[in-house]
Amino acid sequence: MINPTMPTDPAKPPYADHQGVIGHLAAEIWDHLWPWSRAGFQQQRAVQAAGLALAVAASLVWILAAMGQLHAGAVIGWWFGWSVFEVVVRLGSKPYVKEGPWWGRRYRVASTMDMVCYVGFKNLLIGATLFIALKSLGLLVP
Amino acid sequence: MKFPVVFRSILLSLALVLPASVALADAYEANLPDELGTSPRMCDYVPCAEVLPGATSFSERKGQPPYVEGYAEENGQKRKIGYVMLSTDITDTPAYSGKPVVTLIGMDTAGRFTGVKVLKHSEPILLLGIPESALIGFNQQYLGKFVGDNIEIGQSRPEENLIGLDAISGATVTVIAQNQVMMTSGTNIARQVGILKPTLREPAKFIETGVKPDWAKLVNEGSVQRLVVTPEQVGLPRSGKPFIDLWFGYLNQPDVGRTVLGDGPWRSLMSRLKEGEHALFVIRTGGIESFKGSGFVRGGIYDRVQVRQGADSFTFRDLDAVNLYGLEAAGAPAFNESSIFIVRSKAFSAAYPWKFVFLGNRVDRATGTRSFVNFDSEYWLPEIYLEGGRPEVIKPDAPWVRVWKARAIEIGLFAALLVAVGTLYGFRDRLTRRASRTNKWPVNIFKYSAWLISIGFVGFGLLAQPSITQVLTWFHALLFQWTWELFLTDPFIFLFWIFIIVTVFIWGRGLFCGWLCPFGSLSELLYKVGGAVGLKRFQFQLSRKWHDRLKWVKYGVFFGLLAVSFFSMGLAEKLAEIEPFKTTFLVGMFNRSWPYTLFAAGLLGLSIFTERPFCKYLCPLGASLAMPSTFRWFGLERKQECSNCKACAVGCGSQAIDANGRIDHRECLHCLDCMVLYTDCHACPPLSQERKRRTKAGLPLTPIGADGYYIPIKPVSAAKAQAA
Repeated sequence: MINPTMPTDPAKPPYADHQGVIGHLAAEIWDHLWPWSRAGFQQQRAVQAAGLALAVAASLVWILAAMGQLHAGAVIGWWFGWSVFEVVVRLGSKPYVKEGPWWGRRYRVASTMDMVCYVGFKNLLIGATLFIALKSLGLLVP
Repeated sequence: MKFPVVFRSILLSLALVLPASVALADAYEANLPDELGTSPRMCDYVPCAEVLPGATSFSERKGQPPYVEGYAEENGQKRKIGYVMLSTDITDTPAYSGKPVVTLIGMDTAGRFTGVKVLKHSEPILLLGIPESALIGFNQQYLGKFVGDNIEIGQSRPEENLIGLDAISGATVTVIAQNQVMMTSGTNIARQVGILKPTLREPAKFIETGVKPDWAKLVNEGSVQRLVVTPEQVGLPRSGKPFIDLWFGYLNQPDVGRTVLGDGPWRSLMSRLKEGEHALFVIRTGGIESFKGSGFVRGGIYDRVQVRQGADSFTFRDLDAVNLYGLEAAGAPAFNESSIFIVRSKAFSAAYPWKFVFLGNRVDRATGTRSFVNFDSEYWLPEIYLEGGRPEVIKPDAPWVRVWKARAIEIGLFAALLVAVGTLYGFRDRLTRRASRTNKWPVNIFKYSAWLISIGFVGFGLLAQPSITQVLTWFHALLFQWTWELFLTDPFIFLFWIFIIVTVFIWGRGLFCGWLCPFGSLSELLYKVGGAVGLKRFQFQLSRKWHDRLKWVKYGVFFGLLAVSFFSMGLAEKLAEIEPFKTTFLVGMFNRSWPYTLFAAGLLGLSIFTERPFCKYLCPLGASLAMPSTFRWFGLERKQECSNCKACAVGCGSQAIDANGRIDHRECLHCLDCMVLYTDCHACPPLSQERKRRTKAGLPLTPIGADGYYIPIKPVSAAKAQAA
């Protein structure tokens, strides 16, 4: 039966039933930072391999940025490329998003657009934080 | 890599096939000769004669900050008729883009502006929309005005001796920055050449305690200050070492001077100073750059250091420098360059704060171009060394503070509007319960009022139409130079964005887009008026199939602009003309060339027949706000029966309710029509059925609960009733 109170069907991530608040929060933070899952990895081996390569490349970019070797535009370009890739990975590995306030525990199946919005917004926050931090520390060349 | 070049070329070609009247502004990101910033013969590279009419020849750059003198030929003899200055030689004040407007300024020998020419700017608003001629027109207002006058943006106030300049509608931040550039440049040179008299400050009277503090104590109390410039601040690769690390302090105060130099050298130095002369020491403890400058020549000016006090600048010639061989203060650091500089002016007073300035050039690593930049550190002699303590100093308000003060009433009204709409929406449940399908006025009275205020007061009055260009500008500022002052200079847009960010997080984009966006409000108002005046039979909605296809176009537009902005912010700004906001509110329908007017008028005309076509299918700002709306905290209510019932979906003007009764919060514009039905026991089918059932059974109609159903009747058992 369709549940019209949510834009898509309800979903249940593995940690949804975590009782403790801190444990639940930690699981969610890990979920935000780590797009892969064991099940998804089995299904998308080729994509995962490319993903790992991209992850290494992205890490390299951040290291170069930290060494002051990168222009800001390149970092943003990498951020954009990585975000596109993360959308693909998550749709296979963790195809759900939260519904409602961040402190709630309602989750739903992610449509492609939901995932684009989620990854785009999450990475914008992470990227902006890192970007501002690197810039304020003088590690990023303007 | 070739790809960006190819990509850029394609995009540029696309931009050029846009309406023929798209005029590429001349000075926008103009390529200025590299020599302009450094060559002594500045006027070989820029048209100095244009800003100093009558001048036939010009001197080399002179002074600090530099300027050139312009001469006219009279009877075979040269006569000085004025001065020409390059704004970026004097100030690095950024405009809205975060970059300075490079301006060539002419001034006659009496201190009246004779010409202003914008050589280069990066202002998005002047790229398209507001013609560059508007800035030229703005600059024309300075001609004939005296540099020492109190010139501000806004209305003249003769009682305060304030001369007002007309701003450019929609480019307030740009012109405020430009005014600052004009007045800073003009007064700086006017003081240097003696047109403006230096400010007279009461000389300091020192207290001599006889105490000799060590270096650490001097630093701690502020008698010695530090100025560090890092390589990345001047566009060089980061390294562990500073570009330059300087310490400086004021020596006339006996306790400080004796401690730093030692008794003998201090007495010797003081004996060489005349009345009104002041000594300060500078040492370099880090970095390889010389603060004296590698190109310094005998008889010349030290062009890397300066002292500023208020509007007065004090530069040093070779005769103003004395060798400093050592520091006597216990714990003083080792240094590899040093000097004592003498300020020879009665305008300087150690009783008041002053700044030690290091003048440098920032190199843009991408283009290799150099731009003037200065770094300063404030110094104010501690009050323990001043008789009577430090005098009271009233610092003039920053330009953005003056804007907030000057428009305090409008800002208050605007803030009240935002708070009122937010609060009203917070109480939407109460409003929708008072309304019904046949009488939506309890909601609409507030919504329609918000529209009217938004169109008239916010849009046409305050020109506060949020735009995707602002998002791109923030992006640009983040990359180049983020200055809060810049964004605070437009208080309405600043407040509007705070409101937008907060409400998108809480409720989604619908409150802004559906209630307060000036263009969106105008668009839907036209649709409502069209229906009310008999055009209802011509009004239509796209089929669900086509709506579901076309709604993605706006996301494509948004991502397209974002991607283009990575390569060329200027091109992205041009393409952002897809927003008809500039034409409608900022510049005016009749002040733009016909393609823009036709586009905006076409969209508004179409709005009469179909609801908000621009908002639904094209608006990049709406798309950018829709994406975080996916994760709004509080959405609109639904019942399980909504999956079969189409009552709300049929009446949803923004077509945000799908065939399964689900609301797409990215598309929802919070008209609240569905929420009115949600608690209307005559319109919501499940509620209506229950009402009829209860009425037929003679059961009471209990209030409708938060879940949208009648509160269930739970019969109390006889035993419980008896026990009670």
